[in-house]
Amino acid sequence: MNDVLSQPVVVEGDVAAEVEAFLTKHWDKENGRPRDADGRIRGWMEKVFEAGWAVASWPREWFGRGLDKDDARTVLAAFRKAGAPGAGQDRTNISAATLMTFGTDELKRGLIPGFLTGKYTNCLLYSEPGAGSDLAALRTRAERKGDEYIVNGQKVWTSGAHKADFGLLIARTDWDVPKHQGISFFFIDMRQPGVEIRPINQITGDSHFNEVFLDNAVVPAKNLVGKEGEGWKVLQTALAVERLIMGDGAGERRQGSSKSNVVSLIDIAREAGKINDPLIRQEIARATAYRQLNALNVARAKEEMAQGTSSPIMSLGKLAMSRILHTDAAVMTQILGAASMLDGADNERAADVNYRTANAYMTSIGGGTDQIQRNIISERVLGLPREIELDRDVPFRTSRAVTG
Amino acid sequence: MTTIGIEERAAIREGFARLLSEKASEADLRRTMASDSGHDTDLWKAISDMGIAGLLVDPDHGGVGGSILDVETIMEEAGAALLAAPLLSGGVMAVALLAESSDADLKARLLPAIASGETIATVAVTGDNGLWTRDDIGVVATAGWLSGTASYVLSANIADVLLVVAIAGDGVAVFEVDSKAGGVTIEPLQAWDPTLRLSRIRFDKVAAKVLAGVDSSSVERTLDLARVALAGEQAGAARRIFDITVEYLRTRVQFGRPIGGFQALKHMAADLLVEVESATSAARAAAQALAKGTPDAAALVSLAAFACADAFHQVAAAAIQMHGGIAFTWEHPAHLYLRRARVDAQLFGASAYHRDRYVSALETAA
Repeated sequence: MNDVLSQPVVVEGDVAAEVEAFLTKHWDKENGRPRDADGRIRGWMEKVFEAGWAVASWPREWFGRGLDKDDARTVLAAFRKAGAPGAGQDRTNISAATLMTFGTDELKRGLIPGFLTGKYTNCLLYSEPGAGSDLAALRTRAERKGDEYIVNGQKVWTSGAHKADFGLLIARTDWDVPKHQGISFFFIDMRQPGVEIRPINQITGDSHFNEVFLDNAVVPAKNLVGKEGEGWKVLQTALAVERLIMGDGAGERRQGSSKSNVVSLIDIAREAGKINDPLIRQEIARATAYRQLNALNVARAKEEMAQGTSSPIMSLGKLAMSRILHTDAAVMTQILGAASMLDGADNERAADVNYRTANAYMTSIGGGTDQIQRNIISERVLGLPREIELDRDVPFRTSRAVTG
Repeated sequence: MTTIGIEERAAIREGFARLLSEKASEADLRRTMASDSGHDTDLWKAISDMGIAGLLVDPDHGGVGGSILDVETIMEEAGAALLAAPLLSGGVMAVALLAESSDADLKARLLPAIASGETIATVAVTGDNGLWTRDDIGVVATAGWLSGTASYVLSANIADVLLVVAIAGDGVAVFEVDSKAGGVTIEPLQAWDPTLRLSRIRFDKVAAKVLAGVDSSSVERTLDLARVALAGEQAGAARRIFDITVEYLRTRVQFGRPIGGFQALKHMAADLLVEVESATSAARAAAQALAKGTPDAAALVSLAAFACADAFHQVAAAAIQMHGGIAFTWEHPAHLYLRRARVDAQLFGASAYHRDRYVSALETAA
């Protein structure tokens, strides 16, 4: 260590100084990499984990440092400022957070370290061909045989399935109770013969997502998270973490990515020689305003939350974003005019616009369609009556999801 | 510049909201709008006594020394109540123009009187086309004598002092005119919003005193301030009529259940919530940008101008539809919000104009 002298003096209990000292010692801020000779991220993640910074708000006996909210925020801020990954996973690691809340001690000890250090990766086995917006209508079955569950069914819209070590699986363990009550939550080993993964060809031409076929796949009974039949409750925790990542991370990802997702309609209009077309200018204003208004909403919500006021705005973000993306694509199409009929490498601008047109549906359908979002907003934010659900209180076996 | 902190601003807002709920209820508003003057002198005195008329006036001239941040906040409450008072034209626009002047005697004479509520002032900017652009100024100054027409002037029927924007030589100047002066003819225009009074003013060789140090850029700054104040009014009004509508959806029963359980209405409500929140964010962000003088102020003022106008109009128009028949009656307040929304949408330039300005501001930044 050549910079021992420049390290701050650490007072016990002074979190800011401690985390600063840790970062100074182990993280090369200038080059954005660990100081270790090999500079590998895995080694870094292990150091962060061992020091308890990965999940600083968790108790010391469970991989954390028992910090309160403010101190945990200090830790995260220091890591972010240094550009170092690994902190704040108490809020952002779906697997670890779900296990911590509902897992047995054995499961927590067995799996959480792997997820926090990046040794294990996960995928989400939720949606099914017959259970999209109505997720609780899922029909993948898990049947207990001794110390194991045998799983049969089909999952869909699973990203990262071929790289994942574990799948977060919801499956039906009881068909004689109403649909929400017969679901259980498992961590299933993805690398086994009963798991088959097939990529989905999307309307964009990409294949981000997969179908996962479960044919007598095996889950040890100890990998059940929460009690049998309590899977829906466990799922809500996992989904809450996921939504937090989507809301929190959207801005960061955009800043971090080399190719910005935000296009300037003005640049495109200039390029197309239409920047002085008064109708096009009106459309540019309309589309750009949607984006800027959403950014202003998010900034205000964060400010209000920092002052301790709850804000409904965060629940509007996804709906707002799908309008932004669809409108952007529509206005770009208007600017390009006839050229938007074309595609392919020879027609770069058109290909980009056409891709955006198709890809906008990923936001307006994925993770809850705009229509489901409007239900959620009107029910949870505005307090309007819930949708009527015809099969909410009948044994799932008798539901039309099963009987057709 | 501002001397008012966040907590003090919240307290002023709360006090103002309480005053409005006591003295500017819907019943009060309906009485005022049916009167000849459209003005409630008791209410205006109470508002002035609270310091709201002098919110932008500096303490040396008997005011509160607030900024556009305070004005925007207050206007949200004023909009929610559809306040009928010479606040925007006097307390905001006239004060802002006078503050631009280098004439200390003029300020000492007018600002304390406006702040106390004794003197009602208004600003005449646009001509008969109602575009609020330089090209549309309808009054010409020749050697200190004003001739021509100013239109769509707020509260001129009750004003003591008119601040008149006029073409003077190659430039723009602003003149102080006594509303009772010879050669001044104030013709009332019947506004679709009965809570507002608009006038057309004819000037026939009127002797006028120029506001020293006030030029076209002063007028532009004043108009931007007025646009942000109006955006606050629109955001506050949109939120109030939205809340009224959601409450109705919860309680109105048809087909054996609250109508708010029908997706046709739930989905409209969810979309309108996005508009209401966006309007609030836009108005406040524009106020912040103006107060701090940030480089994006021009874009944010234009954004607030059209986003808040459009949001208020969309929410007010949908509110009538969502209520159904009850909101087609004169007695229901929904139409008053639509009336204000449609008039507000034209004041200080319509949305299409501001969208174009927004793109110009973005072009400059890009």
